Amino acid sequence: MPGSARDRQFLDPAVVARLGTLELRARTVVEGFLSGLHRSPFKGFSVEFAEYRQYIHGDDLSTIDWKVFARSDRYYVKKFEEETNVDCHLMVDVSGSMAYGSRGITKFEYAACLAASLGYLMNRQRDGVGLTAFDERIVAALPVSTRPGHLRNLLITLDRLALGSRTNVAKPLHQLAGLMNRRGMVVLISDLLDDPDEVVRGLKHFQYRGSDVIVFHVLDPDELEFPFDKTTRFEDLETSEEVLAVPGLVRSHYLQQMSGLIERYRRELGSAGIDYQLLSTKQPLEMALLAYLSTRSRTA
Amino acid sequence: MIAFLSPLFLVGAAAAVIPVVLHLLQRRPEQRVRFAAVTFLKAAPVEHTSRRRLREWLLLMLRVAALVLLALAFARPFFRSAAASGAGTTVVALDTSYSMSAPGRFERARDLARDAIRTAALGDDVAVVTFADRADVVVRPTSDRAAAAAAIDAVTPGFGSTRYRAGLTAAGSLTGGRRATIVVVTDLQESGWDAGEHASVPGGTRVEIRDVGGLPDNLAITSLRVVADRAIATIRNSGSRKRQVRARSSVDGNAATETVVAIEAHESSDAVLAPVRAARAAAGDAGVLAVRIDDPDGIQADNVRYAWISGPTRPAVLVATTSGDLSRDAFYLQQALAAGRSGERPDVLGVSAAQLSAWSLEQVGRHAVVVLVSTRGLEPRGRQTLASYVAAGGGLLIAAGPDVDGDVVGDVLGAGARLKLAAPASTAGDEAARPAMTLAPADVRHPIVQAFGADAASLGLVRFRNAARIGGPTCQALAKFTSGDAAIVDCAAGAGRAVVVASDLNNRWNDFPVRASFVPFVHEAVRYLSTSTTRSTEYIVGGLPPGVPPVAGVAILPPQRGSADRARRIVVNVDSRESDPARISVDEFQAALTRLKADSAIEARTSVGDQESRQHLWQLLLGAMLVTLAVEGVIAARSA
Repeated sequence: MPGSARDRQFLDPAVVARLGTLELRARTVVEGFLSGLHRSPFKGFSVEFAEYRQYIHGDDLSTIDWKVFARSDRYYVKKFEEETNVDCHLMVDVSGSMAYGSRGITKFEYAACLAASLGYLMNRQRDGVGLTAFDERIVAALPVSTRPGHLRNLLITLDRLALGSRTNVAKPLHQLAGLMNRRGMVVLISDLLDDPDEVVRGLKHFQYRGSDVIVFHVLDPDELEFPFDKTTRFEDLETSEEVLAVPGLVRSHYLQQMSGLIERYRRELGSAGIDYQLLSTKQPLEMALLAYLSTRSRTA
Repeated sequence: MIAFLSPLFLVGAAAAVIPVVLHLLQRRPEQRVRFAAVTFLKAAPVEHTSRRRLREWLLLMLRVAALVLLALAFARPFFRSAAASGAGTTVVALDTSYSMSAPGRFERARDLARDAIRTAALGDDVAVVTFADRADVVVRPTSDRAAAAAAIDAVTPGFGSTRYRAGLTAAGSLTGGRRATIVVVTDLQESGWDAGEHASVPGGTRVEIRDVGGLPDNLAITSLRVVADRAIATIRNSGSRKRQVRARSSVDGNAATETVVAIEAHESSDAVLAPVRAARAAAGDAGVLAVRIDDPDGIQADNVRYAWISGPTRPAVLVATTSGDLSRDAFYLQQALAAGRSGERPDVLGVSAAQLSAWSLEQVGRHAVVVLVSTRGLEPRGRQTLASYVAAGGGLLIAAGPDVDGDVVGDVLGAGARLKLAAPASTAGDEAARPAMTLAPADVRHPIVQAFGADAASLGLVRFRNAARIGGPTCQALAKFTSGDAAIVDCAAGAGRAVVVASDLNNRWNDFPVRASFVPFVHEAVRYLSTSTTRSTEYIVGGLPPGVPPVAGVAILPPQRGSADRARRIVVNVDSRESDPARISVDEFQAALTRLKADSAIEARTSVGDQESRQHLWQLLLGAMLVTLAVEGVIAARSA
């Protein structure tokens, strides 16, 4: 499979998770990702690629690039770097359900590493990046910034995050959407084990505010495949409720429910113009970065 | 209050911890996984933990309950009545023997019994027992004194004789191990106790005597026998004055003759009623002779006595020998049976053992007695026929001589008789050198020996040169050799009997046939075997076979089980001992009582056993246990 062959050249998330600091992990992922990106269609976003356009009536005269005028005898307006970058809001779910992990990495670790990598990439491209961590409420928030030391703050914040309790994705979404005063990009990293209607409604709130949204739906392979074979007593990570189940009897019903949820998110978010990316914790983080860059290219 | 018949079984309830332990040991055998998407499992057809836990507890409780119910069922619980646990019982034992039938006596007895009921301790249960030859429980322990009194009113005296032991035993069984008083309402006749007899009552039981009083002046026919053509009735005058007694006889209800005898006070006299020949002829050579006297003030039941009269009988005797020729094989026996008066000689028929094997049971059954002097040629079928004959009441005389095989005799008498007959160890050549044995009567009361009377010693003149060894647990030795071995035994086999002589009857091993005692022995043996008790026609009330009501007079004896006899008429008389006016004192009565603690405990246990068996709670508990197990099974199957 081409996809699998491509996956193999990226780092195993479990291996990444064993690297020392979160910064090191993020750098390892992003640098490795970017080094292999020269054959890709993505060009990146930086001050060297600042944008010029023809002057139109009403533009500030001070913005005319006179050097270009001297060479081409045409009026061009120079777009500053800040205007080409976007504000990215990373929203990381730290609810109890994110504690599950079966392949050496939990969904929470995967989400944190993914957020760090995205933050590193965004910072490297001079995009403003902010962080919001939530369970049923916002437990940590870092405003959007492009300052050089901001990435370190973001990584430290991510490193200090602890798992929370119950999930309520919609409520923090609405809170953050209300606080945003600039359009930008919102990246939601969550297992989305919540009421889909509420989640979709919260995400659409960002769209109403003019922001682009990308959703990384992080699930463990066990949650996607339900590989259990012995009679198992399942304890809910958030509610501690116990359910005794014979996997052979419940597997088809479970998979049907899970695939129904995924399909529903994929359909409803797609129809709302929201990018949806299902991520298994065994998938390389670079796949998420590709998805981000794809969305970012549309936004720019 | 609940009690248990076998409380030790309650220890078995400890087994109820077994399912608890198993539950604890097997608790949470499944793996546990902390999972995120439990929401999707809740909607699946799975068991929620809370529901399963409830079900597990329910199953556990059902299993524990089943074991506890089983232990309870085995412990045999019952509800002990309040009376049983605290109050006592007053049992009225009312004498209903025929001595109570004199005018006015039983009315007084009823009054005494009702008074005993009325004066019973407050709170006591009361019970009523009637007794004569046997005892009947009329009213079991109850608090309903009116019902007990009504039951006493309905009681009437019968034809039985007094047996205190029967009444006291029945009354004692009703005390139930509680404080009890037995009130015996009786006329204290001495004949109610056999010599040296005692009765046991539960320990702590008080026995009170309510004396009805001594017998009034009474006339009683104490015996009736037919001798040749005369009926002889013995009449006892227990009164204090001389009486002129008119005795009347009848045969099958037809008046025959009458006579008057004078009897002194406290003396007996025979009334001879003759002749009865004409009456007997009118009755077809057989009938019931009844003799009556008039004694309006005395006991009524002893004023009449019955006897069975019949024509001269000639019992048929079948002699089985080796060849069937009696003159050769059983000459002495043939001659002995031919002796006697012509009308009383038995019909004798000789048959070879081989021929006997082909006979049917009906053919053999026509003979009152079968004499077996040889078993040579007696095939299994013949043995079976003889065995059936004896089992049905036939009489068998066996001469265990050289021609009789002990195994064959064992087959004939069946396993029940367990007669062992072994041939002598000595050979013919030794007989001359061997000292002769003689025999001596061992049971002078036996009818055969008794017939010899003072001449029984003449049996000791017989010299035995050889003899088989005979004996068995069901056999009674009539005579023994000087060596101590049995010489003549009487064995019961089924409904019949067998008299076995340990030697031959043909002058081979002994000189018995040439002795004067031989002929009477043969005749008495044939008479005894042909008139066994199963063929008796005269009974007393206390010795009636099953199926015959205890009423004096003529009765029909139904065929007894295992007997080939058909229903036949018998006569039933009262026991003449009951007419004896001798009395004992209350102290003498009390002295005949034994109060045993062990008996008390056994009776108490019997009583609680009765209570438990009436309530059947163990069956309910077992049923509940089965229902519990069924429910457990259903629930367990649904959760498997």
